[in-house]
Amino acid sequence: MERASVPAPTRYYFLGFPNESLNEKRKTRQQNQNFTVLTLKSVQAGYGKLMVLKGVSLHVRAGEVVTLIGGNGAGKSTTLRAISGLLPPFRGVVEFNGADLTRLPPERIVTLGLALVPEGRRVFATLSVTANLELGAFHRRDQKQARKDLEEIQERFPLLKERASQPAGTLSGGEQQILAICRALMSRPRLLMLDEPSMGLAPLMVSRVYDILRELKEEGTTLLLIEQNARAALKLADRGYVLETGRIILDGSAAELRDDPEVQRAYLGKGYREVWE
Amino acid sequence: MFLQQLLNGLTAGAVYALIALGYTMIYGILGLINFAQGEIYMFGAFVAVLLLGAGVNFFLAFIGGMGAAALLGVALERVAFRPLRGSHPLVPLISAIGASIFLQSLALLLFGPNDRPFPIQFTFSTITIAGLPLSSLQGAILLAALGFMALLVVFVRYTRYGKAIVACALDRDTARLMGVNVDRMVALTFLIGSALSGAAGIMMAIYYNATYPRMGLLPGLKAFSAAILGGVGSIPGAILGGLLLGVAESLGAAYFSSGYKDAIAFAILILVLLFRPQGILKGRGD
Amino acid sequence: MSAYLLHLAILGGIYVILAISLNLIIGYAGQVSLGHAAFFGIGAYVSALTSLHLNFPFPLAALSAILFSGGCGFLLGLPTLRLKEDYLAIVTLGFGVIVDLVFLNLEITGGPDGLAGIAPPRILGVSFRAPGMYLLLVLLAVILTLILTYRLVNSYHGRALRAIRDHEVTAQVMGINTPAYKVAIFTLAAALAGMAGSLYAHYITFINPESFGLHTSILALCMVVLGGMGSIAGAVVGALALTVLPEMLRQFKAYQDLIYGGLLVALLIWRPEGLLGKGKLSLKFISRE
Repeated sequence: MERASVPAPTRYYFLGFPNESLNEKRKTRQQNQNFTVLTLKSVQAGYGKLMVLKGVSLHVRAGEVVTLIGGNGAGKSTTLRAISGLLPPFRGVVEFNGADLTRLPPERIVTLGLALVPEGRRVFATLSVTANLELGAFHRRDQKQARKDLEEIQERFPLLKERASQPAGTLSGGEQQILAICRALMSRPRLLMLDEPSMGLAPLMVSRVYDILRELKEEGTTLLLIEQNARAALKLADRGYVLETGRIILDGSAAELRDDPEVQRAYLGKGYREVWE
Repeated sequence: MFLQQLLNGLTAGAVYALIALGYTMIYGILGLINFAQGEIYMFGAFVAVLLLGAGVNFFLAFIGGMGAAALLGVALERVAFRPLRGSHPLVPLISAIGASIFLQSLALLLFGPNDRPFPIQFTFSTITIAGLPLSSLQGAILLAALGFMALLVVFVRYTRYGKAIVACALDRDTARLMGVNVDRMVALTFLIGSALSGAAGIMMAIYYNATYPRMGLLPGLKAFSAAILGGVGSIPGAILGGLLLGVAESLGAAYFSSGYKDAIAFAILILVLLFRPQGILKGRGD
Repeated sequence: MSAYLLHLAILGGIYVILAISLNLIIGYAGQVSLGHAAFFGIGAYVSALTSLHLNFPFPLAALSAILFSGGCGFLLGLPTLRLKEDYLAIVTLGFGVIVDLVFLNLEITGGPDGLAGIAPPRILGVSFRAPGMYLLLVLLAVILTLILTYRLVNSYHGRALRAIRDHEVTAQVMGINTPAYKVAIFTLAAALAGMAGSLYAHYITFINPESFGLHTSILALCMVVLGGMGSIAGAVVGALALTVLPEMLRQFKAYQDLIYGGLLVALLIWRPEGLLGKGKLSLKFISRE
């Protein structure tokens, strides 16, 4: 079996270029293999003495889109911060492609192929759009290839080319979100994590951002998506977890979660009338 | 007379600006005022003088002085600032003051209390352009300082590491998510800022033909003011602030009172801050 | 007690007052002053000048020193309200340099030669010329300062000041008149520093600009930070430590300052929160997104 081999890096299907059929092949192969990219085992994390995550376990398989939904303060962002190394966990294991991330700093973790689009976009406001994208590829050794990737991205999102030399802070919120996603893509991640990509965006921009995520999914990019907007997230995702006060209380396929009465009541805003009455 | 003073001011101002760049970059990335910047300036001058005394040629000695200043800056960050990251801003400030006392007295022990003349006497001609006597020494210092500034701007704007430094100054966590090693960028910032201060020290040592252990104190303070005057964290601001301060000081000393020469710089600074509290060019990490 | 120890104790006491006054600005109002020696100097010069030229008795000279320094603090405090920490630091630094240069250039202050022959204090016919008596006077002033600051810090106003230090906007929202508090604390701190200056002038009986320059401002700052910002006991310990330390290092002669500077860095790395600080102030600056 070829299971043991580490999957080839994402470059075959980077943004759909250059080889579509190879992508397809790879995607199906990986799904057949059920190759688990990311595993969290009873991760506990928090700030100072405050424990926010009280033992979170979850996994993401290659080519999958997994969403983590939950209310304010459930610990969604903390989970992503713990995975990306910004907030080293107190306890538990974070494994990515067989490597233990728990003690690694974020700047090392990103070199393993794990990229995070942080909450609130966090583009470098006074730097140009292009400089932001270039920084996304900062750690890459193949800077020549990175420049090609930059051109590809600019072709795919003409907006980023038109505004190339404009300070990123002058873009609209939605545009900044697209920039932040592309900046993360510039690192050629094997797993892309997004922290509330729809936060604070106009409805039109939300659907624009989700269109992009859908395209990425179709290309076979593995996504871990955190959302308060459970409706949009569950529409896109293959699987989901529900996080409440630092614990996973529910998990299943996206369809199962959509139909779950509890999820409907608490996160989709359906049927709470009946519960009231 | 006026033009002559203007030129004197620009020369001193260009040197202030070089030191101010170190302050502003370090402030931009760490949010701390490196009070020992003036000692790094002094150190660069002394190493260059020592190298020249040992028979090294001028350009190598210049580069050696800059290099020594750069290394000192990096060592300083490692010893006196890095262990204090995350504490109240006054704590690294005092640590920097401690380091500055240490370095000054080290210089006093190593080099003695007396002024040392610059080992090479440059024979500079004075060219008269439109009735204005321009010493070619001033011209050379101005050109060299402007050259260093241009190099720095190009580095920050157009190179990968330059942009990474700006990214760290703007948003440290997100920069880390991009794979930027913040510690390394901080060290790089100290390296560059200190090299520039070292160069400034050597130029001033040539200009005034003197090196002495306390030579860094006043230029350091004035450059610090220049950095704040221009808008701390802003590179163009530091350059502008330095030049303005140099000119104002020179004109003020000529037309007002030379006894208050050092006060003029600070008086202007206070006035400007009262009317534009964010500095002339407001900025951070530009 | 030997004469030398008495001398150290008197100087230590004067610096304790200076450090406590600066600690009010730094530790309780959360502001930075890099020119505190200016007020110390203003107090010393005013006290000396009034007693030399106007024949003011010591209490009156000291009072005018306190009022005059306080007034200068008030005037400097007014515009600085609009400035944030770093800018305030540079403004106070500039103020210190300017005041120092004024002492150096004015005729009435004697220029670089300073003023000599300042009369030792005499209150109600009792002379405080003897060092032992002078120490009593200084101790009295220290105790007064301590009582005043302790009462202030633990009062309603003290809590308001701490609220300003920890979060200015929140304090404002809570209805605290932050500008008024800041000016008030600046004025009070300057007045106390002026009192220390007056005590200094009448003890040494000879003053020149050298004693009130940047290094004295920095010394006072070091005392506060080393002792622990926001701790009155810390300011006392810091002031005494930095009065005694140079004396102890005197045996190392040429290496004195080298060791002094090195020790300062080492102490801070060992205890960044200061000797008696509680390390509660640290949150403010790291999160500077």
